[in-house]
Amino acid sequence: MKLKLKVLIGAAVVGLMSAQAVAQDKKLTIAFIPGIASDPFFKAMEIGAKKKAEELGITLIWQGSASEYSPQTQLPFVDSALAQGVDALILVPTDPDSLQPSVAKAQAMNIPVITVDTTVTDQSYLTSHITGDNVDGGKQAAKTLAAQIGGKGEVFIMSGSPTGTTNVLREKGFREELTANYPDVKIVDRQYAYSQPATATSAINTALLKYPNIAGIFAIDGTSGTGALAALRNSGKVGTVKLVGYDAYKVQVDALKEGVFTALVAQQPGREAELALEYAKARITGKDADKIEKTVVIPNVVLTKENLPETEKYMYAQ
Amino acid sequence: MTARAPLYAVRDVAKRYGHLVALDGVDFSVDAGEVVGLVGDNGAGKSTLVRVLSGANIPDSGEISLEGTARHWRSPQDALAAGIETLYQDSGIAPDLTVAANVFLGREKLKPGLLGKLGFLAEKEMREDARRELERVGIAVPSAGRPVSKLSGGQRQAVAIGRAVAWANKVIILDEPTNHLGAKQSAEVLEIIRQARSKGLGVVFISHTLPHVLEVTDRIVVLRLGKVVANAPTSTFTPDSLLKAITGLA
Amino acid sequence: MASAPQSSRVEAGGSAERLRDLLMRQDLVLLVIFIAMIGVFSAINPRFFSLPAAANILQDFSPVVLMAIGQTFVIASKGIDLSVGSVLGLSGVVMALVIRACNEAGYDPSLTIGLGLLAAMAVGLAVGLVNGLMITYFRLVPFIATLATFGAAAGLSLVATGGVQIAGGPQAVIMLGNKAYGGAFTVPVIAVFVVIAVSWVFLAKSRFGRWTYAIGSNAFAARGSGIDVQRHLIKVYMLSGLLASLAGAFVYFRLGSGSPLSGRGGELSAIAAAVIGGVSLHGGSGKLGGTVLGALITTAVLSGLIMVGVEPNWQQIVVAALIAFAVGIQSVRGPSAGGTS
Repeated sequence: MKLKLKVLIGAAVVGLMSAQAVAQDKKLTIAFIPGIASDPFFKAMEIGAKKKAEELGITLIWQGSASEYSPQTQLPFVDSALAQGVDALILVPTDPDSLQPSVAKAQAMNIPVITVDTTVTDQSYLTSHITGDNVDGGKQAAKTLAAQIGGKGEVFIMSGSPTGTTNVLREKGFREELTANYPDVKIVDRQYAYSQPATATSAINTALLKYPNIAGIFAIDGTSGTGALAALRNSGKVGTVKLVGYDAYKVQVDALKEGVFTALVAQQPGREAELALEYAKARITGKDADKIEKTVVIPNVVLTKENLPETEKYMYAQ
Repeated sequence: MTARAPLYAVRDVAKRYGHLVALDGVDFSVDAGEVVGLVGDNGAGKSTLVRVLSGANIPDSGEISLEGTARHWRSPQDALAAGIETLYQDSGIAPDLTVAANVFLGREKLKPGLLGKLGFLAEKEMREDARRELERVGIAVPSAGRPVSKLSGGQRQAVAIGRAVAWANKVIILDEPTNHLGAKQSAEVLEIIRQARSKGLGVVFISHTLPHVLEVTDRIVVLRLGKVVANAPTSTFTPDSLLKAITGLA
Repeated sequence: MASAPQSSRVEAGGSAERLRDLLMRQDLVLLVIFIAMIGVFSAINPRFFSLPAAANILQDFSPVVLMAIGQTFVIASKGIDLSVGSVLGLSGVVMALVIRACNEAGYDPSLTIGLGLLAAMAVGLAVGLVNGLMITYFRLVPFIATLATFGAAAGLSLVATGGVQIAGGPQAVIMLGNKAYGGAFTVPVIAVFVVIAVSWVFLAKSRFGRWTYAIGSNAFAARGSGIDVQRHLIKVYMLSGLLASLAGAFVYFRLGSGSPLSGRGGELSAIAAAVIGGVSLHGGSGKLGGTVLGALITTAVLSGLIMVGVEPNWQQIVVAALIAFAVGIQSVRGPSAGGTS
């Protein structure tokens, strides 16, 4: 009996060690769950992620809700990824509290977690949090728009939704910057587009009617931007009303070249994804793990027609 | 005497719905200028037979012949085109449409020329014609432009019957036409049936009200559980014997 | 021959009853409400009563009224079409993709736009056909059938675009969407008015319209009278799909791009407009004039609320109140009170 037991234990140890050895050589599998799969910002992130994954020899699982940015639709993908036993989880939490239990689950399974763009409330377990800075983006937009209208005048905010954290933070930064440094610039109104460009067009047209002296508009997201483009063309105010948008989608960059947008605040979604993958590999393999920073804020870039030769490379891949 | 083919006949008709046998080997016929009563208890198969006769249901087996020629109805449209009018049990009236619209339902008159080809209705003409046809049958319906729902149940029934009689040129099938009607109006319906007979139409009269059946029909066919259990001239029945034939109770 | 039976005679209405009928006419009541609303908003903010404001309202009104016309036919046949919002989105996206491809291939702008329009209409007709077949041959309830196409079309929009908006059309597109005659009437808006006029006549005066009402009123009677109900219903749903695709084309011209999210909630706006306009959900009745007014009121309300500084979210409450009011009138007047044109 004693001999049998010893043999069993020996076999087990050998087995474990070989498994360990195999693991070291085995290709890493990392799951990347965006907030929503069909969104140009996340599409650009996906392209960056896939490129980096190929470069690092990582098997990338990119999966997310097709059409809804919500915890209910995101959770099944996160659960499925954890159940598959991936080597690391990179996540864009659609809600800071609803996704916290998933992080705890990953912790229990010893799966490292990195959050991108948005994050969870308790970040203690996270390997890292990589994000753009929406508040800073709003501030940059305010600075740019104020300068373009000559330091004084009326401006209008076209927002996407009252609850989207990105929208809320950008608006916060915008307002703070104007209050602090541009007392002669007045925000006359703010409306919500609720993901429909036509709603944005309508709201802006109405605003232009109600406040005929509007000198500038801040379109907080892509949908608002599309709506704003149409509205300015509708009312023939291209050029006279300055338009600062967010996110450097090709459509918006083209409009910038045309002169309808006068500036675009760009994030770097591809770069965020690349860094997340680098950190994930470093954390798992241990190599270069000391380079990992707990929080990384990737700066925004402001694109204008004038600086486009240098900044066009920040246009989001699509 | 040579056997002449009846005006409208079905032979050995069977129809089942899943396991339920609605009709089993049913022979039924009606001749021109004849009123045949079709009676039976609930579930005897009367409505199914009516639908086979009107083209609304295709039987599983059996033959249909009109004026001696074998026919095959794929839809009510075929039977209607052949001259067989049916008044269905819920009167087949569209309550939201006007009287005139109901009379011409499915047979709307179109404007002449190009407008007609585009599908434009000749509304004024249809209104006039409808009023005239109904009056001929003995029904006066002023303001034919109001929706039928504004009429009473009896008036609606009158419009439905009037429509059937106006269009019928061979056979008219009336399924429970005196439902919802009071004594006086029922008497008017029976009078319309007699008129139809004297016009040379074949009339099939389905009713629960046995006194009406005994009063106006020439022959009575009794259905029980999908089979024909009696088929004889009306004069051979008494109220008692008729009831017995229907229920099967001695 | 029997004399005209007393019981069959219908009482002719007296003048008092005619006045009551007039007051109960939903489209007149709606017109009054609309005028009153314009009056109140303009009094509070005089800029509301201006050509640019009207132009803006017309742009919002156009896609809604197109879908609402389709719903009028569908609801009158006692059905419902929940897919129209997604069809708006999908056809706009398909149109954008076709136009972009043609433009990049260097086609003449008129040809490009023409092909784009045809593509959009093909989408609408195809979805309508699918709806019709599901409801007739597969015997699915309209609610379920159109709910399925609603999801499928919305999904297809996202797949086809990857969630991105599709621009890339020739300058002519922007021109068409923005050059306004008389300050408020762009070519697409004029086209919408033509569609409204043609649809009004079609519903009220043609056999197609009558059969639609008949089927909604009593489908069994319609079939018994020889009408091919299944074939007709397929046509009705194809018409609804076609109108929704025209709405999608309109939004494409307005924005200069096709967005997969456009049209979300469109089916609800369309149904609300129709119901407010007096189309009974029981089927068999409903006039186009009412629907047009319903669409006009619900879209003007949003603009008006913004102009007077009220939170636009109140729009939903106002629309809900209007629906309750419209349904209330109908129940007071009894069934088939809406009448057929």
